Amino acid sequence: MTNYDIAIIGGGATGLGCAFDLALRGLRCVLVEKGDLASGTTGRYHGLLHSGGRYVTKDPQSATECARENTILRRIMPHCLEATGGFFVITPWDDPLYGDQFVANCHKTGVPVQELALATMLRREPLLNPRITRAFEVLDGSADSFLASQSLALAAKACGAQILTYHHLDALVRDGDRVVGALVTDLRSGTQQRITCAYVLNASGAWAGQVAAMAGVKLSVVPGKGTMVAMNQRMVNTVINRCKLPADGDIIVPIHSVAVIGTTDVQVTDPDNYPIEAHEIAFMLAEGEKLIPGFSHYRALRAWAGVRPLYQDRDTPSAAERDISRTFKLLDHAARDGVEGFISIVGGKWTTCRLMAEAAANLIAQRMGNTQPCRTASEILPRPGAEGHGFYYLGQHLAAVEAQQAAGDLICECELVTRERVEAALADGITTLDDIRRTLRVGMGPCQGGWCIYRTAALLHEYQAQHATSHPINPNQALRDFLQARWKGLRPVLWGDQLRQARLDEQIYVGLLGVDRLPDV
Amino acid sequence: MNHPPPLNQGLDQCIKCNICTSACPVAAVSDRFPGPKYVGPQAQRFRREGQPVPDDSVDYCSGCRVCNEVCPTGVPIAQLNARARAQIVAERGVPLRNWLIARTDMIGRLSAGPQAPLVNFVLRLAPTRWLAHYILGIHRHAPLPLARRHTFRAWVAERRVQGTGNREQGTGNREQGTENREQGTENREQRTENREQGTENREQGTEKSVLSSPSRLTPPTSTPPTSTPPTSTPPTFSPHASSPHASSPHASPIVYFHGCATQAYEPHVGQAALAVLEHHGYEVLVPPQNCCGLPLISNGDFVAARRAHLTNVRHLLAYVRQGIPVVGTSTSCTLTLKEEAPEILGLHSADVQLLAAHTYDLFEFLRLLAEAGQLRRDFRPMARQLPYHIPCQYRAHRIGQPVVDVLSLIPGLQLSLSPAACCGIAGTYGIKREKYAIAMAVGQPLFNFIRQSGSDLALCDSETCRWQISHATGVATKHPIELLAEAYNLSYYQS
Amino acid sequence: MFRCFLAGRPTKNRAKIAQKNMEYDTIVIGAGLAGLTAANARAARGERVLLLAKGHGACQWASGCVDLLDAPEHPLAAIAQLAAKHPLHPYARVGPAALHGGLKLLQSACSKMGYPLVGSPTQTLRLPTALGALRPTSLVPLTMVAGEARQLAAGGPLLIAGFRALRDFFPPLIAANLRTQGFPATSCYLTMPNSERQRDFTPMNLAHLFERPAFRENVAQQLRAHVRQGGYTRIGLPAVLGLHHAVTVVQALQQTSNALIFEIPTPPTSIPGMRLAHALEQAARQAGVHIQLGSWVVRGSGSQKRLETIYSAAAAREQRHHAQHWVLATGGILGGGIRREPQGALRETALGLPVHSPSQANEWFHPHLFAPGGHPIFQAGIATDQHLRPLDAAGQIMYTNVMIVGSALAHCDPLREGCREGIAVATGYKES
Repeated sequence: MTNYDIAIIGGGATGLGCAFDLALRGLRCVLVEKGDLASGTTGRYHGLLHSGGRYVTKDPQSATECARENTILRRIMPHCLEATGGFFVITPWDDPLYGDQFVANCHKTGVPVQELALATMLRREPLLNPRITRAFEVLDGSADSFLASQSLALAAKACGAQILTYHHLDALVRDGDRVVGALVTDLRSGTQQRITCAYVLNASGAWAGQVAAMAGVKLSVVPGKGTMVAMNQRMVNTVINRCKLPADGDIIVPIHSVAVIGTTDVQVTDPDNYPIEAHEIAFMLAEGEKLIPGFSHYRALRAWAGVRPLYQDRDTPSAAERDISRTFKLLDHAARDGVEGFISIVGGKWTTCRLMAEAAANLIAQRMGNTQPCRTASEILPRPGAEGHGFYYLGQHLAAVEAQQAAGDLICECELVTRERVEAALADGITTLDDIRRTLRVGMGPCQGGWCIYRTAALLHEYQAQHATSHPINPNQALRDFLQARWKGLRPVLWGDQLRQARLDEQIYVGLLGVDRLPDV
Repeated sequence: MNHPPPLNQGLDQCIKCNICTSACPVAAVSDRFPGPKYVGPQAQRFRREGQPVPDDSVDYCSGCRVCNEVCPTGVPIAQLNARARAQIVAERGVPLRNWLIARTDMIGRLSAGPQAPLVNFVLRLAPTRWLAHYILGIHRHAPLPLARRHTFRAWVAERRVQGTGNREQGTGNREQGTENREQGTENREQRTENREQGTENREQGTEKSVLSSPSRLTPPTSTPPTSTPPTSTPPTFSPHASSPHASSPHASPIVYFHGCATQAYEPHVGQAALAVLEHHGYEVLVPPQNCCGLPLISNGDFVAARRAHLTNVRHLLAYVRQGIPVVGTSTSCTLTLKEEAPEILGLHSADVQLLAAHTYDLFEFLRLLAEAGQLRRDFRPMARQLPYHIPCQYRAHRIGQPVVDVLSLIPGLQLSLSPAACCGIAGTYGIKREKYAIAMAVGQPLFNFIRQSGSDLALCDSETCRWQISHATGVATKHPIELLAEAYNLSYYQS
Repeated sequence: MFRCFLAGRPTKNRAKIAQKNMEYDTIVIGAGLAGLTAANARAARGERVLLLAKGHGACQWASGCVDLLDAPEHPLAAIAQLAAKHPLHPYARVGPAALHGGLKLLQSACSKMGYPLVGSPTQTLRLPTALGALRPTSLVPLTMVAGEARQLAAGGPLLIAGFRALRDFFPPLIAANLRTQGFPATSCYLTMPNSERQRDFTPMNLAHLFERPAFRENVAQQLRAHVRQGGYTRIGLPAVLGLHHAVTVVQALQQTSNALIFEIPTPPTSIPGMRLAHALEQAARQAGVHIQLGSWVVRGSGSQKRLETIYSAAAAREQRHHAQHWVLATGGILGGGIRREPQGALRETALGLPVHSPSQANEWFHPHLFAPGGHPIFQAGIATDQHLRPLDAAGQIMYTNVMIVGSALAHCDPLREGCREGIAVATGYKES
């Protein structure tokens, strides 16, 4: 049994932000996450650092929050961000009158905006639709949410927080009207432990309803499925938004070596199980064509979906998904449901994760009599490893490989991951192929693991053979699981070159390596 | 879409299969070049205009296009690399050495002419080579061509003044060609239409002497009634307004693009080309022209390359608008006019396309004549067996081996084909100090092949390849057109 | 190497021959195993052949072994059963004679290169992969035969050795997986012998290095030391032991190390696959076949059910080709002969022939990647009659002078059925 001030449920951006904020105030925190960091919605979003422009009309509060947090995040985690800038463009399919309204609302909500000459827009992004009639520049960016999560975790740990990944929350422990702890199981060793704490903070996003139910609290969080498609290359280097009220498939985000188009918004029942429909993909590619003619003829890499945690207030039980506020809600269940020691933070978006953490931490700190102010807006987050300076830029890894003359030592060739980096990650205690993917982007490029996952699995095997590992992973099974997980994202976009690639990958794994013939052990 | 898809879209076709890397002649011999897949479609995903260039190793790509040739998925690897190199140059400027060696026409102008003996002497002095090696970065063993006192254009002008040419020579052979002419009859009908387009133009031309009228050195003033845009490639052979030797009493005009090497170093190649074309009854025009721009492209100087190409378009447009074909003996020049300049430099205007559609490698053109039954067969037998290397820049035309197809018509001549991918020189690549050794290693299989052939003569279409082969093996090299002229018994040396 | 003499054949009617230099009896489209087999077979029958291809064929992506059918014991018998059960299967279309002919052609071309293929269509061999799995096949190069499962089971201790710098071969994992299957395997990494190369040890670069006596002697000495220490009787090495002289390299290594050496194919580029392609290319060139790479066939035209002309993309304009007969060996989805449009239908890329696909598009992909039997889309291809002539949707012959060979054929997933090479050589060999 371990004693903490606060147990945080959920290792996404919000939970990690809370852990860091609370730990920074000197409170003893433990964070419980059933998978790897950012393995939920945080790791499944398109990577947009909002300027706020998207919300200026429909959700002004969110717009203002985004604009403020955008500035703060640029200061505290530049290495996780690429300062791409963003355009809001009016295409022939959009209401031309919205432009003026958009600008006015930007001014109202404090979102910096500037109209751009169309010639300038086309010079900067030559592939944009020449029939675009107006363009506005905002401070959008792209964000590596995996890296940001790691940085937050590092920072939280440095302040004494404990982060338990691959720990399943079995139950919340109640003592009368009070939540006093949690039962969690280490999924790798199978051992259960009991955590006692003064507060449980539910930061589990789309899973918040499930967690709340463990405390006997009814909390309605609608998992809103957002489907995205990653394209093989960045046809734009600026975030491109349609200048209209938020809708499906109206954003293209250049992030790392790909461009992501998103998203859809469909209410689903189960945050762990939702299909990606062919018509969603078709719709998004068609929308992409409006922004970039020829868009659908570029190679699509994979499709995936994440589930937004959209909080439905009790007063407005049947709101359409897009109409549910994108701002967050802090729920004190003592006041709301009569359950002490239990607080939920729901809704929101990645860009405002720090603000959400601040609000939650303020409440808990106040309750616990901690008078430390929030400092997360000025604490520069540490960088995992020692890569890069300032903002991330696209050529960063290419330049590093060039400097080390390490092209022949690339394990993941598509995403330029050297053997050295894979081995360092293994030594860092990252043990699953999927975690290596999230950390290093191994297997996220065009070949979707075709070359690199065999190599990575073999390196994992060698590492395990040389170092005492408490719960070694079977490399064969890991290899198959990884490829199966990639297949899930590939299936909706299998045509043209990506289909050909998938067949080559099959030729490698079935035709050459016989991975399907290996005994399971 | 009128515009071709952006070049970057081609990288989507890469399935990372490593076929290019295994075939790359540079990666096979050097650690400096991580291979076409790596520097091409892979690295391109990480390059961004306006940001510092993250990689220099792309500069070790020789541009030989073997990767393009073997790639089963159609990735324009060499073009991606050329663009990446240009990005380096755009950021850092052209190094003096590259600036200099990319200006082949300027160098030619400075060295060929009355001063040639002196220039040749000075450039071959050990101290000069030493200085060029250590100060400038031009390898001291790199092959240097001999500049000529009499340039090709000077010869053409002289000939014009004299009002003589190979014409007489050719006339004597006419009768021998008659039997071949019969074979061509069936093809004539489909060609009539083409001929009509050219009629107006042909009437302006002089009949008597090929280059007798000075006005023929400048573009004809009239513009054609309708110039068919060549954007869709002609499915059947239509050498535009030209007609073969026998079918018309008027000589049909054809433009010869000589390139820098013929002009300054190898006028005999141009003379042979003129002799063969005139032998087929063509009136060969040699309008003003400049460097095709390939050395500039290879050295990343796209600004100058665009200028060079657009100037050529200006020079040649009036001809191609009338349907007059442009033929060249330098395979890399013709490739540049046909494809490299439009594709790599992103020049896609109708005029650029028109020139591309009318440009032929000379043997490509002759093979078309042969297919139409219009190539003369008055060969004298040549009981020779010669090694032939098809330059990578010729293979990049993707038209098979026209030289082999045409020369195999010569009785007794046997060609043994080089199995080698590249001679290594790749234009200006192999003369650079840091790349000379790579180029020599790349060419090793070819050099072995030539040496083992035991022949005292080798054939190759590209001038720099010829210089490289002779430099490495000591075996004399000729352009195949020279051999063809000999087979026609045409004495073409006029200087 | 590929020296060939094209012109100057002594003949009475020179002009006719010469004219023919640009005219072909048969043009084969595609440079994979099927296309190369077809080119050789037709040249051997006296035809003038042009082989036209986009680039190098799919051989470099395969093991370099000849898979006939994934059958437990007797591939030939299993093929006969398959043919009886599935009359539309390419094996059923071509019959056993074509398979035998094609195999003989391939074996003869390889033998001439000093690189014999051993085994028999009546026996299934199992060879270790670069993951340590055992994969069934039928004919294997001499350089791999010592790794056959029955031999491994009978022999003594086994060493799997590689180089750390080769990123596509991991001895510890291979040995571990072999051990779990009952083979006494140990692994080691060898020290890379000195050469002017410091990095970029691709399979191709290593193959070049192994052709140097000093390099392989160094490796052989290292192996010898391991054998002395561990008493190994067999050593598995990555299949990079030379490109043109692999048998010589293997023999040299065996002699010095005192153990039997066998190669294990690596992920692409597969050097053994490349050796097969080289053997067939060289045989084809010697038989007078012209080979033109880098040329994409973009369309064809004909009349009265005869294909007369095809056009390949070239600089500035298309190149036109004429022939009497045509062999389409452009491959399936992997080879590029068949392509799926964005979210759309399948199309045949060279001539626009109709593609037969086995089910509705929403059933093309199984939810599980390794689902037994594979994904239905990969059974798609061009339907043919028994002479391999392409059929349209109504079952009518589209061109009487076109044959479809290899992975472009419908009713077969060569990869999952384990018959890639068998189908290629059998259909490629078949007479029109």
